[in-house]
Amino acid sequence: MKLKEVCEILEAESVRKVDSSRWRSREVASCQASDLISDMLSFRGPGSLLLTGLTNIQVIRAAELLDFVGICFVRGKRPEPEAVRLAEEKDIPLFATPLLMYEACGRLYAAKLPAGTRKEASPIA
Amino acid sequence: MPELEITKIQELVYELWVDDVMHKDVVTVTPSTPLNNLREILRDNRISGTPVVENGRLVGIISMEDFIKWLCEGSPGCAVADRMSRNVIAVCADEPLIQAINKLERLGFGRLPVIKRGTKEVVGILTKGDSIAGLLKKLDIDYRQAETRHPRSSHIFEDIVADRSSLIFEYDVAGGGDVKRGGASASGLKTSLMRLGIDPQTVRRAAIATYEAEMNLTFFTNGGLITAIIESDLIRLEVTDDGPGIENVDQAMRPGFSTAPDWVRELGFGAGMGLYNIKTCADRMRLDSTVGVGTRLEVEILMGGKREVVRDHATVTA
Amino acid sequence: MKLSEIMQRLQLEVIVGGGSLLREVNGGYASDLLSDVIANARERDLWVTLQTHQNIIAVASMKELAGIVLVNAREPEVETLEKAREEDVPLLVSPLPAFELIGRLYKLGVSGMRT
Repeated sequence: MKLKEVCEILEAESVRKVDSSRWRSREVASCQASDLISDMLSFRGPGSLLLTGLTNIQVIRAAELLDFVGICFVRGKRPEPEAVRLAEEKDIPLFATPLLMYEACGRLYAAKLPAGTRKEASPIA
Repeated sequence: MPELEITKIQELVYELWVDDVMHKDVVTVTPSTPLNNLREILRDNRISGTPVVENGRLVGIISMEDFIKWLCEGSPGCAVADRMSRNVIAVCADEPLIQAINKLERLGFGRLPVIKRGTKEVVGILTKGDSIAGLLKKLDIDYRQAETRHPRSSHIFEDIVADRSSLIFEYDVAGGGDVKRGGASASGLKTSLMRLGIDPQTVRRAAIATYEAEMNLTFFTNGGLITAIIESDLIRLEVTDDGPGIENVDQAMRPGFSTAPDWVRELGFGAGMGLYNIKTCADRMRLDSTVGVGTRLEVEILMGGKREVVRDHATVTA
Repeated sequence: MKLSEIMQRLQLEVIVGGGSLLREVNGGYASDLLSDVIANARERDLWVTLQTHQNIIAVASMKELAGIVLVNAREPEVETLEKAREEDVPLLVSPLPAFELIGRLYKLGVSGMRT
């Protein structure tokens, strides 16, 4: 599924000033939903879209470390200015949807977007 | 190498659209604007022409030439509508930039108004200068990304002649709850490891472990040092601080256990997964802490995937 | 839909339950940020989260939520368990990640839309 289609399903709009159409054709392999940074860091697979209600700069850091294809903020939330600046620097697409996290996940899942995988936890010795 | 670059530029040009580079703050006038006002409008904004807009829609264009002609006629009292060109050429915001540049060249114009397809609403102005600037910016961003993905040299250690060699990167972490700066070291390490040509999986593991350690320093201490030692087949991370220390390391290692205060939770942290995440990334991990003295974390990440899982740690009470 | 039915259809593990499992679920809410849930969740919503801290029980109680589902097979902390029993807040666990669990709940007809 292309990022463009995801935006349509979520009624999402771009947050960054440079609304580049080149993002919209990017392929989204899977989706992850979380508001907790440590949880985001256990996700696997580049090409995943992150749905989150967390708006601080650390979300962008996590996205950079995990090579997310983009971040969509839910419930009409907007990321903080430092977060947007860092996203500009790292060229990470940012979107915002008026939908609640629950509704956003529901719609994307119904549209057959797969859930992302996590890294396997090692057994506790 | 030069051939690759030229193709890349061509590729990039075709990926740009007019709305990527256009000027969005457009100065416009209406058909009823008195021509007298045009002098100031053009001068104050340092432009040589402006689109004429009625109810938001593009209806004409008026230029410096039109203005000068009017002056030569003795500046009779009239409005923009009397002197503007109604036959105005524009480009659409969703047009490929390359097409718009061709139009500019063909017509010999310095600028063209940009409209929204269908509604003819004026949304910007496109100049040759904007196109070049936009292209350069895109080239810079994409080139930088390409650089980190395909490093110039092959694995750096292959070129070094020595019995043993290692690269050492040190990062100072501020601590004291400085959430905005937290993560910068992990980001820097990731970029550096990518440049060295290390495989993405290993880089990710090292970066995540560093990030979690860095955020722990940020929230629980007044600062510390992260040292990354890169050898030919493994990455060693050493994280030290002289913070409060960990009372019970076993407990701290348990997923879900956290001593984080509520404000930390509202920032998306404090889920108690930090040390656990580090362990999951590491091939070997050792955590030593003395309450009132400080903490030392050592992590080993073997390149090319995890092989063994060994964990040892100790809490030493003073 | 009753919580017990959801529990069966999605094979959720019950950590704390009982009579309260017969509660009617009106909708779903997903967030790991307590301030968010306090501000926006509605009565009888089923709360999907990864947070295991005992504060979640206080919030669920205050907002009169139908219950809490912990995702990623997350085990609640001991204090959380105790509080859940005290306050009679159903606590369930799913091994699925949030996105997938929500997707399946949604498919069952547990909606997120506000009327």
